[in-house]
Amino acid sequence: MANKLARPTPKSIASYVKKHAPAVRKAQKHHHMSSTSVREADYNGHHIVVTTTYRIEVDGIALMGHMGVTNDGSVHYHPIPNMRFTSAIDLVKQVIDVFPDDFAGRKRGSGGRSMKMGGMSGAGKMVKRTARVK
Amino acid sequence: MAVVRSNIVANSTARDNYVKGVKLLKREFNGPTTASLGIPGASRQISTYDLFVVWHHFAMTTFTPATQTDRNAAHRGPVFLPWHRFMLLQLEMNLQRVLNDNTFGLPYWDWAADGQRTLAKQKSAPIWAANCMGASGSPVKTGPFAFDATDPNSWRVRILADSSGNLTQVNRGLRRQLGASTPGLPGPNKLPKKAHTAAAVGRNSFDADPWSVTSSGFRNLVEGWENDPVVQPPSLHNRVHVFVGGDMSPSSSPNDPVFYLNHCNVDRIWETWMRPAPQGHGRVYVPGQNESASLKGHRINDTLTSLISGSTTPAQMLNVTQSYTYDSLAQ
Repeated sequence: MANKLARPTPKSIASYVKKHAPAVRKAQKHHHMSSTSVREADYNGHHIVVTTTYRIEVDGIALMGHMGVTNDGSVHYHPIPNMRFTSAIDLVKQVIDVFPDDFAGRKRGSGGRSMKMGGMSGAGKMVKRTARVK
Repeated sequence: MAVVRSNIVANSTARDNYVKGVKLLKREFNGPTTASLGIPGASRQISTYDLFVVWHHFAMTTFTPATQTDRNAAHRGPVFLPWHRFMLLQLEMNLQRVLNDNTFGLPYWDWAADGQRTLAKQKSAPIWAANCMGASGSPVKTGPFAFDATDPNSWRVRILADSSGNLTQVNRGLRRQLGASTPGLPGPNKLPKKAHTAAAVGRNSFDADPWSVTSSGFRNLVEGWENDPVVQPPSLHNRVHVFVGGDMSPSSSPNDPVFYLNHCNVDRIWETWMRPAPQGHGRVYVPGQNESASLKGHRINDTLTSLISGSTTPAQMLNVTQSYTYDSLAQ
């Protein structure tokens, strides 16, 4: 099927943006104190559900974008959409590099570097993981 | 009549018209404001060029389906190629309008040719010359998009996605960090090579279940997610974003005019893949419309997310030879 795209005009652009504005405003409301991903798979007649929750802080302030986990265990963060990482720490380092203005002037927290990870159990169980990066 | 898209480093007329056109779109204001689109801060008009930035971010934050947060309306799924073709066509038609030249065709950046160079020479390739896109910098200090704090007409980033993934207003120069060291990246930050393009073009299937970043097929390899023995992710399209860095990194990456040169080359690779057999695989697309409703937004007759125009479908994006052709396909 051949494409049939109308040629744009200043008036048509303004009109379409007005039409789509409510959906854009709705999409602007992405704030997550923590990010939860649910991975599911079937294996030898068993149904596996792995729920992973990340809460990330830099200098004591939470990263508010969504972080996801794919079935191969790699993590990605929506505000840096072209990369995935095997390490959540490397991911956060890249976030700091890509958005230097968002972290400029912050002081490192007095608690020093720490990373807390919750318990992990086998297939069919819930996995909760909390990463705190200072 | 179809226009011809050409290599930006081989066609100085296309290069100069592209630079002139994007600057005209950057200075065109047709009424939409930051307030009308929910972007915080004092309300101000958004240029036509920056509406494309908003559109890309909007598509990226529209999850398909809304019950998951992986596949979105333009990425990480089959619609990646037709959606960006739609976006390029809209930019091309707007450039033709402001240039008053319906023969204008978008230029592309054959980054795989530059990927054959050493890393040092990749950073100094002709595309980064002062008469083309300008070089690395925070802000960029050379070329047509160099920042000059005293010149309000110098290229400025005005709409930006922040570290929380929300749009915000700024007023600063464009940033690039060509080939910069990147945490977690396997090996040096280098451009894709011709062998990587050939590996993608050689794939027999367009895409496959689960229609995501874990799929096997041409789309997932050229988008840059698939683990392939020849091509380690981030690869091809994704790797070019990572190599350029700076403002090419967030979902507001169309802030850098290099964005369109990258995607025009990705589109050229798709056109190469769609050649008739035996060289290519034909103008085929999956998933079909009979697939699960959970794939809405990615099936062949689904509506593509739009902002500045009416919409279209993946089916309507498969054969665009009435609109444009390429001076040469990917080798």
